[in-house]
Amino acid sequence: MTLRRFISTSILRAAISIVVLSASVPASAQKFFAFQKDSVPTFRGFAVSFDLVGAGLMAFSDNGQYEGALRINLHDEWFPIVELGLGRADHNDDVTYIHYKTSAPYFRIGIDKNLLKEKHGPYRLYGGLRYAFTSYKVDIARQDFPDPVWKWNTGFGIKDAQCNYHWIEAVVGVDAKIAGPVHLGWSIRYKRRISHSEDGEFGNTWYVPGFGKFGDTRLGGTFNVIIDI
Amino acid sequence: MMKRVTYLFLGVLIAACTSIDCPVESNVATLYQVCNSDGTELTLTDSITVTTKTAEDSDTIIFNKGVGISSFSLPISYKHPEDVLVFSFDNENNKNLHVTDTVWIKKEDYPHFESVDCSASFFHNITDVRYTRNYIDSIVIKNPSVTYDSKTVHFYFYPKSSN
Repeated sequence: MTLRRFISTSILRAAISIVVLSASVPASAQKFFAFQKDSVPTFRGFAVSFDLVGAGLMAFSDNGQYEGALRINLHDEWFPIVELGLGRADHNDDVTYIHYKTSAPYFRIGIDKNLLKEKHGPYRLYGGLRYAFTSYKVDIARQDFPDPVWKWNTGFGIKDAQCNYHWIEAVVGVDAKIAGPVHLGWSIRYKRRISHSEDGEFGNTWYVPGFGKFGDTRLGGTFNVIIDI
Repeated sequence: MMKRVTYLFLGVLIAACTSIDCPVESNVATLYQVCNSDGTELTLTDSITVTTKTAEDSDTIIFNKGVGISSFSLPISYKHPEDVLVFSFDNENNKNLHVTDTVWIKKEDYPHFESVDCSASFFHNITDVRYTRNYIDSIVIKNPSVTYDSKTVHFYFYPKSSN
């Protein structure tokens, strides 16, 4: 209930901020939000993309994600986007002997703005924002080990602990047309957790699907193959 | 413009180094505060030693000959429903004092996880404390939650005023 109230309050504050901001911004800033006036139609189609960095991590490490996105092209300037993925971790630590496992879908929703002056060219430079959410379960276990004082064998296990995670991302990316409908692009992302909950208050989670390893770094990146459809 | 963006990307990649964030204070233990009957802090003049029996059925010392102390910290078992501690109080200058008391601490244990890089640990919730009353007048649970916080007092320890 507290979490819901927090999210509702956050959304309400964000909405009020946007309304106040849009009412108070000067004409030059309002121009930023408007479309350029030319003969190109507003709706320019859809694009789908697939992230190769997450897939590479999935193939060559013990955590990663498969991620795809659907983007709407509005006048080559504004790009509302939905990103869907499946994040997974299955890690055995050689030093602490802790085994961590999770697998869950996640989504992000947001919008990008093409920051280049030449909007309709083969290159794009994006700046954007995302809101992201995942609901996931974690298993954390360690083989029995002796209590250092009492010497009893002690098991350590957390099974199917239900967790959820809300975060936002600031995105900067580029995109270049390669051939026909095919583009290649990359993005770097600054991630910030806004709320979370862990069932049973066992502490923190380590890998969060879509967010990555918590506490490791707030930066992330993607390398995308993009196809206009 | 594109060249600048590429340099920015490379800079971010270099900056995105990993780090391990385990707590600096990772010891989970109970803290006892010695008190007078009126609740004020008391310094024990008799030495105090605490032992416990291990799974191998041998005695081990967990606190050794503390003298002139007003608080002390004792370990708590990872995952045993009840810890049994034997407190010995000695003082050659006080009529060759040698008194022992047994303390039983009941608790609930739950695993605590920080990161795969940090050792497994347990937090506890103390549910009950019992004791014999040879030297000890009473032990009162002040804060039942035992975590990494080494500053929180978990027990008020009242010795008998006749000691």
